[in-house]
Amino acid sequence: MAVITPTARLASDDFGPVVAPKLEYSRWLIGTIVGWTAFVGFLFFMSWLFLALTRAIMWIGAQIPLDWGISQPLGTILSVVMLLVMVTATLLTMADRKWSALMQDRMGPNRARFSIIPFLRDKPLKGLPHIMADVLKMLFKEDFIPEGARENRFLFNLAPLLAFAPAFMLIAVVPVSPEINFWGARLQLQVARVDWGILYVFALASIAVFGTALAGWTSSNKLALLGGLRASAQLVSYEVTLGLTLVGALIVFGTLRLDVMAQLQGMGESAIRAAAMLANRSGDFFARDDSLLFGWLPAWGAVFQPVGIILFMVAGQAEIKRAPFDTPEGDSEIIGYFLEYSGLKSGMFLIAEYAETVVISGIVTAIFLGAYHIPWLEPTIARVTDGWLGASGVAWLAVVQVFAFVVKTLAIIWVLFVVRWAFPRFRYDQVMRLGWKMMLPVSLTNVALTGAIFLWAGRDGVAWMGIIEWIAFLFFVAFTQRGPAAAQGATGHTSTAAAH
Amino acid sequence: MNKPLDERTIPSPESQGDLTLGQRLYLREAIKGMGVLASHFFKNLFGYRDPAPEILDRKGPGVNMVTTIQYPDERKPLPPGYRGMHRLVPRLDGTPRCVACYMCATACPAQCIYIEAGEYEDQAIEKYPVRFEIDELRCIVCGFCVEACPKDAIRMDTGTHAPAVLSRPLAVFDKQALMKGPAVEHPSDVLTYRMPLRTPVPKEPEGPGVTSKGLPLR
Repeated sequence: MAVITPTARLASDDFGPVVAPKLEYSRWLIGTIVGWTAFVGFLFFMSWLFLALTRAIMWIGAQIPLDWGISQPLGTILSVVMLLVMVTATLLTMADRKWSALMQDRMGPNRARFSIIPFLRDKPLKGLPHIMADVLKMLFKEDFIPEGARENRFLFNLAPLLAFAPAFMLIAVVPVSPEINFWGARLQLQVARVDWGILYVFALASIAVFGTALAGWTSSNKLALLGGLRASAQLVSYEVTLGLTLVGALIVFGTLRLDVMAQLQGMGESAIRAAAMLANRSGDFFARDDSLLFGWLPAWGAVFQPVGIILFMVAGQAEIKRAPFDTPEGDSEIIGYFLEYSGLKSGMFLIAEYAETVVISGIVTAIFLGAYHIPWLEPTIARVTDGWLGASGVAWLAVVQVFAFVVKTLAIIWVLFVVRWAFPRFRYDQVMRLGWKMMLPVSLTNVALTGAIFLWAGRDGVAWMGIIEWIAFLFFVAFTQRGPAAAQGATGHTSTAAAH
Repeated sequence: MNKPLDERTIPSPESQGDLTLGQRLYLREAIKGMGVLASHFFKNLFGYRDPAPEILDRKGPGVNMVTTIQYPDERKPLPPGYRGMHRLVPRLDGTPRCVACYMCATACPAQCIYIEAGEYEDQAIEKYPVRFEIDELRCIVCGFCVEACPKDAIRMDTGTHAPAVLSRPLAVFDKQALMKGPAVEHPSDVLTYRMPLRTPVPKEPEGPGVTSKGLPLR
C-alpha cells in the first residue's frame, strides 16, 4: 500500500469509491448453483419440447383428412432443424466469443443491453443481447453487390444459400432420439430415416464446396477468388479423409443408416423394457445394461474407432473451415471467399459455419459417442421413471436421451472451439500435407486394420483394437519428449503462446 | 539432443532430422495447449471475478483469472498525487479560496487559465476572482498551477478527467463548474480574517473537511 498523501485521501473520500465491491462468496455460490440448475432444467425442458412439438404436429396431421404421412418429418424438421440447430447455431455466435474470452482470461462482449425492457435494462445477460444487435445490424445493412458481380448476380446470390442450406439439410439424417411411443404415437426425432444415411452426409458435405467456390468466383475479387480456391481445394481434400474415417464405423456397425448405428451403441427399446422388468422382479434398483462390451464398456463408436473419431473431428474442423484450417477465410491475409458479401448474405456464411459446427458435432455424437445413449443407466432410468405423469418409463427415458444427445453435442462443439482457439492457422501447404500425406494414409490403414480384425475376431476384436489404440495414444502423448524448439520456448511462453 | 542450444541452430522445417517422430507429430504439445485453454476456461467459468485491480496474480479458491476492469462501472484507484481535472477549493463560507493573484495563470505553460480579479471592500482578503476559467482542452495537465498557488486554492485531485464534449466552448470551465469538494481551511487562514467572514461559519461543515496536513478540521 502506497503512502496516502492528503490529496489522494481527499480524492477517494470526496469523489466516491473507485473499486467495485467484491462479490460475496456465498452469493456467488448460490448464483452459480441456481444458474447451472436453471440451464440444465432448460435443456431438459427443450428435450421434452422437441418430442412434444413433433407429437403435436403429428396430432395436427392426424386431424387433417389428407395425411400424406409427412406430419412426423414436418414436426421433426420444426423441432430439430428450426429449434435445435438454428437456435444452437445462433447461440454459438455468441458462445464462440464468450468461450474464447473465458479461455483467454477476458470478459467477452457484454455491453449490449435490452434497454427497453425495464428489469433487464442494466443486465449484460452473458452477452445475449449482442445476438439481437448482430441480427439487426445484418438485416439493416446495405445489400451491396460489387461491380464485377452484377453480371453473375444469380450465382452471386446463390452462393450463400448453397453454403447455408447443406448445413441444415445434413441434420436430417442425424438421430436425436430413439424411436419411441410418445403420447400414443410412434415417433423418432430424425427427419429422414433412410438406408443411405452416411452417403447423404458425404453428398451434402460436397455441396457446401459449391457455395464457397461460387462465392469466391463470382465476387470478382482476387482475394475472394483465392479464398474460394483454397476452400475448394481444402474441402475436396478433407472429404476423402472424412469419408474414409467413417468406413471403419461402417465396418463395425454394418450399416449406412445413422439411426441403426445409434441403436447399436446402446440398448434397444424392448431390451430396456425387459431389463427393467427383470430388475423389478428381482427387486434391484439398478437394472442391467446388456449392451455394454465385456460387461462394463459402453459400445460406442469411439471405443471401436479411436483413429476414426480423432481424424473425423480434425477433418470435420477442416470441412467447416474453422481455425486452424481457416486458410479459406484467413481474416488477416485474404479476408476470405465472402469478402464481397455484406449484410444478411455475409451473416448467412457466418451462421452456416456455426450450423455446420453443430451438425458435424451431431454426426460425431451419433456415430462415435453413442448418439442419444446413456451408458450403464438406461434401463434404470426407465425403471425409475415408469408411470410418472402417466407416461411410460421409455418415454421419459427418451427425454433424458435427447438431453444426453444435446449435452454430448455441446461437448463436442466445445472441443472444436478449444481446438479453434488453441492452434494458429496452418499454412496452405501444411493443410495439404496434413490432409494427403498424413491423414489419408492413417485413415486408410485404419480401414484396413479394422476390416482385417473384424473379419478375424468380430466386433469384440475391434473393441480390443480400439482399447489398445486409446492406451497407445495416451502413452504416446504422455511420453513424447519435448522437442528442442518446445524446450526453448518453454522458458516463459508456454501459457502465453496459447493466448493468441 | 544434449547439444547446446543456440538460436542459430533452431531446426527449420526442412531439417527436422534430429526430432523424433513423436516430436514431429506435435501431438503432445497440441494437447497440452488445449489443456491450458481448457483449464483457463473452467477456472474462469466457475470462478468468481475479483474486480480489485491490484491483484495481478489471481490465485485463490474460486477466483477466476479475468483481470478486466469494467471501466465506466469500475475504476482503478488513482495513484496518490494523480493529476485529474482541476477544482477550485472553497472556503468555509463557500467562496473560492482563490485570491486572484494570477500566479497559476502565469505559471501555466499552456495559458489555459483566464482570471478576472475583483476587490472586496470590507475584507482583509482583498481580491477574489470575478471570472476564473480553465480551458480543459488547452490544459496539458502539468500541475504547475497547483504548485504555483500560494493559497491552496486550485487542486487537481478530483480523480476525474476532462469530460468529452460536443463543442469546444463546453470544455471551458467557469468558476461555478470548477468549485467542487468540501471546504478547506488552513490554520493560518484565521490570521487573514481581521473581520469576520461574510457568511457565518456553519456549526458542522458538511463532509469531512481536511487540512492540508491531512488532519481532520476541528
